[in-house]
Amino acid sequence: MSHNYIELISLVLLAIGCFFILSGSLGLIKLPDVFSRIHAAGLIDTLGSGFIVLALIVYSGFSLLSLKLLLIPLFLIFTSPVTGHAIALFAHESGYKPKGKNKK
Amino acid sequence: MAKLNKDSLKTLSYITYFIILFVFWFILSGYLKSLLLFFGLVSVLFVFWMSYRAKALEEDSLPLKIILRLPFYWIWLFKEIFKSGITTTALIWNGKYSPQLISVKASQKNRTGIANYANAITLTPGTVTIEVDKKTFLVHALSKKLSEDLQTDDMNKVITDLDK
Repeated sequence: MSHNYIELISLVLLAIGCFFILSGSLGLIKLPDVFSRIHAAGLIDTLGSGFIVLALIVYSGFSLLSLKLLLIPLFLIFTSPVTGHAIALFAHESGYKPKGKNKK
Repeated sequence: MAKLNKDSLKTLSYITYFIILFVFWFILSGYLKSLLLFFGLVSVLFVFWMSYRAKALEEDSLPLKIILRLPFYWIWLFKEIFKSGITTTALIWNGKYSPQLISVKASQKNRTGIANYANAITLTPGTVTIEVDKKTFLVHALSKKLSEDLQTDDMNKVITDLDK
């Protein structure tokens, strides 16, 4: 019976992660300029992958494998801001101006 | 910790780095046979020697003081990411974004702290650090609320306290 609960919890967490990835992808298309799109990509990197890894940890139970899984978000914590910052800095230096107000 | 002189602090940071490397090797491999553990020790020593040669073990790049506080900081950071992630998701779906540039002051003392703060800003969805001057960041925020959250200076204080 408890097995079912674990599957249910990991299913819910997976669904949340998928929702964040969907929102991020939508934002990647919908948002107006480079700088705003980086926010959407950051959403996928942090919350999307975070919830999916959490779901996998819950599903597989606590073992050495879950420690390995925990290393993935740990590396993402360090690498994803660097890529976001690199893109933003390069766009800024090559003269892109962020779009101002949202057209109503 | 404050009473230790510079040399013993350095030794301590070497030992910590060595232990971290070995634990990392063990997590990734999971072997317990003595021969394989020996090979692991050899590879860890090799990496240690490489980082020693590359001068990656200076005090600034391996701050001992914050290692114990890091897990709590990560939990706090995840909470922040979750909060601003919800806001950003709502902004994407309802389309009420108004991107703006703001400048944020950083009060960290050393380079690690400043890099940490800039990374934390970029990591929370909805805010991206574009340019880092010495003590001020140019930050692009997706909406007014997100930029106001940043200007309350909470994150700055937490990361400055991390290094005390």
